[in-house]
Amino acid sequence: MKLERIDANRYRIPKTGRMRVPGVVYSSPELVDDLRDDPSLEQVANVAQLPGIVGASLAMPDIHWGYGFAIGGVAAFDPDEGVLSPGGVGYDINCGVRLLRTRLSRDEVVPRLETLVGALHRAIPSGVGSKSHRTLTTGELAQVLVRGARWAVDHGYGEPADLDVIEEGGTFAGADPDAVSDRAKQRGLPQLGSLGSGNHFGEVGVVAEIYDPAAAEAFGLHLGQVTVMLHSGSRGLGYQVCSDSLEEMLKASARYGIALPDRQLCAAPLSSPEARRYFGAMASAVNYAFANRQMLTHFTRQAFAEVFGRSAGELGMGLVYDVCHNIAKWETHRVDGRERRLCVHRKGATRAFGPGHADVPGRYRAVGQPVLIPGDMGRYSYVLAGTQRALDETFGSCCHGAGRRMSRHKALAVTRGRSIGKELAERGIQVRSDSRRTLGEEAPEAYKDVAEVVDAVAGAGIARKVAKLVPIAVVKG
Amino acid sequence: MRDAGHRQVDHTADLALELWAPDEGALLVEAARALVGVLTEGAAVARRDTRALALSALDPEDRLVRFMNEVLFLAIAEGFLVADAELALRDDGLDARLWGEAGAGARLRTELKAVTYHALALRLDADAGRAWARVVIDV
Repeated sequence: MKLERIDANRYRIPKTGRMRVPGVVYSSPELVDDLRDDPSLEQVANVAQLPGIVGASLAMPDIHWGYGFAIGGVAAFDPDEGVLSPGGVGYDINCGVRLLRTRLSRDEVVPRLETLVGALHRAIPSGVGSKSHRTLTTGELAQVLVRGARWAVDHGYGEPADLDVIEEGGTFAGADPDAVSDRAKQRGLPQLGSLGSGNHFGEVGVVAEIYDPAAAEAFGLHLGQVTVMLHSGSRGLGYQVCSDSLEEMLKASARYGIALPDRQLCAAPLSSPEARRYFGAMASAVNYAFANRQMLTHFTRQAFAEVFGRSAGELGMGLVYDVCHNIAKWETHRVDGRERRLCVHRKGATRAFGPGHADVPGRYRAVGQPVLIPGDMGRYSYVLAGTQRALDETFGSCCHGAGRRMSRHKALAVTRGRSIGKELAERGIQVRSDSRRTLGEEAPEAYKDVAEVVDAVAGAGIARKVAKLVPIAVVKG
Repeated sequence: MRDAGHRQVDHTADLALELWAPDEGALLVEAARALVGVLTEGAAVARRDTRALALSALDPEDRLVRFMNEVLFLAIAEGFLVADAELALRDDGLDARLWGEAGAGARLRTELKAVTYHALALRLDADAGRAWARVVIDV
């Protein structure tokens, strides 16, 4: 795939063949060499062929091969000419990350770390097919699908103030529970408030570096402070919504004459009944995921309260922010000097709205929206802030994480015979997982260095570095 | 090469299966067994309980993906692990009688999100008595 350098952090896939727009890849001289022969670039070009795509098919520095769209892909579509594609959202709808702050310092937590990680592991249901502490009734699930995190708060999981700092306020408009299949609902009933397995985690970290003191202060972050990051999504309900929608969208693509370079890119015109139905089901799964992370937050606060003998309020466990990684949304962006309403697909990408944007919570509006970028469990994660440049260039979008550099299979092969838990413990990181295999698959070396990814987006100006967090305890499924 | 079989293929972030059998029906049965093998990390599954299944599909590729997604759904949502199947293929789908173990959800060891259409390949050669497929599974 031909890749032309625009500058050190921007590379262009020229418009050729059936591409309607060029591709633009945000990267760096260090990262781009690994990318040149990667099939994910072909996926960026494939997305550029979809009807009604606006501007460019975008890729973030953590781009890697995905289903249909690459992971790390962003594409915006015109409401009249454009399409909605489940492959542009992904299987784990509204997989996302949230960050909690605390008033605790590293020195207060480290002596009790083993007790804390045990309490977190008990409090947060995790692992293969993990089920929550509570099975919903069908009536409750219908409420969750419409109200999202607000449902959870109303049922005692967290505080109303949490909702102010969740993307979309924790309730995504447009949900249609009737568009969610009975199977998806069946999978959703027992799982609300569970972490899952694979790359999902709960991580206790410490603020190790501050790059932007004003933004860090606005986000309530300071050096040495203990934080908690949670990564999970819409669980089996979301996977099933995606799977169900592909069946309908494949038929729709044929019906509307949409040429598909890859079946997984199946799509329907935004105004079609098929697209409206998928949007209603997807929005329901988005709300499920918001409620899921809200419940996990509550369980996390309970575990801290139990270990430190103080309430979550006394421990200062406020929510910093909650961002989605896999979503399609209607947003207004300025394109070629004109305000346009567009359907923005972000798949393995984070919204990164800059200072002054009305959708950034009031308390952060002067500095930009918090952007949370987890790394692997052995190194570090970052807190960034969105920028005006992201709004100008990437429909207000940024990267979402490190991205794998080894397959799960290879990671297991290179870690065979080693105890990843013990190795991390020697580096001061306590890990609890239900599965030794998960720890092998998720070993730090299986991931790219997230610092390189973050430096690329910061270099491009589509986000600003605010703080670096280093892990001290990790709970995985 | 045995008459029917499968192997896991290394794939960044996910899992691909290569499947082979004498014909499409046998390939689908092999696909079900391979999938349950991944879910249970290779545990033996008894041919004890039974379920009926019917599905519609656009073409043979779509039939393979949908059938595997049905097998996945039965395992993770209902705890039914498929060990064997008798299939009647139709132009627009299939009817199946499945055998396996009900109430076996506790034996799942791996969480799989879905069987995908990505890089899907299916080769059916009736004359030579060969069927081959590659399927990518989202982990």
